[in-house]
Amino acid sequence: MKKTINIPLGSQHISLLEPVRFKFECENEKIIGVDSDVGFVHRGVEKACTTSFKFDSIGYVVARVCGLCAITHSLTYTAAIEKLLGAEITSKAKYLRILLLELDRIHSHMLCLAHTCENAGFEAMFMRIMGDRELIMEIQELITGNRIQFDYINIGGVNRDLDVNSVQKVKENLYEVKQKVQGYMDEFTNNWSLSLKFKGIGALSLDEAYMYNAIGPLARASGLRIDVRNEIDYLPYNEVGYKMQTHTDGDINARNIVRLNEIVNSIEMCENILNGVPEGEIVTKVKGKPEGETVVRFEAPRGELMYYVKANGTAMLERVRIKTPTFSCIPAFSHIFLGEEYADAPAVLASFDPCMSCTAK
Amino acid sequence: MFDLKKYRKKSPWILHYNAGSCNGCDIEILAALSPKYDLERFGVINTGNPKQSDIFLVTGPVTYRTRERLVELYTQMPEPKVVIAVGSCACTGCVFRDMYNVEVGIDRYIPVDVYVPGCASSPELIIDGVVKGLEILEHKSKEMEKPFKLFKAATIDDGIVNRRHSALKVGEDDAKD
Repeated sequence: MKKTINIPLGSQHISLLEPVRFKFECENEKIIGVDSDVGFVHRGVEKACTTSFKFDSIGYVVARVCGLCAITHSLTYTAAIEKLLGAEITSKAKYLRILLLELDRIHSHMLCLAHTCENAGFEAMFMRIMGDRELIMEIQELITGNRIQFDYINIGGVNRDLDVNSVQKVKENLYEVKQKVQGYMDEFTNNWSLSLKFKGIGALSLDEAYMYNAIGPLARASGLRIDVRNEIDYLPYNEVGYKMQTHTDGDINARNIVRLNEIVNSIEMCENILNGVPEGEIVTKVKGKPEGETVVRFEAPRGELMYYVKANGTAMLERVRIKTPTFSCIPAFSHIFLGEEYADAPAVLASFDPCMSCTAK
Repeated sequence: MFDLKKYRKKSPWILHYNAGSCNGCDIEILAALSPKYDLERFGVINTGNPKQSDIFLVTGPVTYRTRERLVELYTQMPEPKVVIAVGSCACTGCVFRDMYNVEVGIDRYIPVDVYVPGCASSPELIIDGVVKGLEILEHKSKEMEKPFKLFKAATIDDGIVNRRHSALKVGEDDAKD
């Protein structure tokens, strides 16, 4: 007689934003096998990039791959094209790019923290964090004109200049968020009922993180010192006060603490940038058609994002390959579920911060 | 007596399905339910159960694999129901139009009552869409109460007269008098 029970989660589920299906094989309350299906939102973006759009408009198409890390997608593609064209961008444009990249990271991390709390059953914390997240969305609307999916990055620079009058408002909001994040730190470390749900659950050790090739906050929570912002030199990250945040436990609590520390670090970086934005043009004119092939990497809120672009001197590209962070983390995801209780599955799943529309493209 | 029809307008429950969008509109729906915009003050609750919901919020162009689930969820919802297409993708396909795995909006598969534009559509627009959907919900529930005739009035403009046209219909003679 069969002793195990199969329980499906998804494709439509109250705790999931995106269609993804997990099949958990359970023995009593313990999960002993996981089967995942992520291909529900495949749209064929890579094919469309080489057949129906020209190279100067693809930056706005690949931004629609994902709503949360849209700016990282368009920046990575644009950096690849600028590398092929040999374009030099001004330092003001570089600083403004970092500013928006870090604002995007802050609101993405806050959404993830809120979602983890909601799935662990702490509805009030979800409402608190989502309410404070609106401060960041206000800033983004002020700087770029749209709350999400702002098409800010352009080949050769950025599309909008920083308004002098709005800088004060941006600083005020960032300061307020910083105060709020200190409050969350206290809540996440000292709340007893949250610790029952988070501490020691869904742990990934350092060896396993190496073995399953984990990246992003998932790897940093296990103690793996891996961050693309530390390794690239397209953007002046070392000038604006970047510090790597790691933790050693590897459980849900460690991931939350790493995300909170990264929010604080990102706010510091934004403040440094706002205090010393260099003068100059925001966009330089770029001529010509791209030729050759290149690989460009950037750190999205969830980990390393890699673009491979191959061009042949015409307006149409030959190949665009997107390797997204969640795709690399799937082996580690599936491994963490083994041996956990089924009741913890939604909270563990939310703590990975998976992005299925990135993965399936 | 507890009258369900009276209260349905005051607390519509929504069902949210992502039919292949980029998560942008989904986050905005979540933001619309959170404290700043607060759809819950209108009695709107996000349920995961299609059998308890009145309003169906769909985001994203329909991909090959989500179309079965979309139609299935629609058929599981009880009457009266309202479908709201959130975002340009769900309305027309947006940038994903003409990609090989994507349809031109969701209205190829299910009837849509309210179209909410924008990429990504802001929470204000989503609230407007839901409030607009409430009027349609009320109209639909009134339509359901009306008794409908089995046979419509005879049209003999084209000269073809069916035997059914000359048959005596229930209640017709009373109406003439």
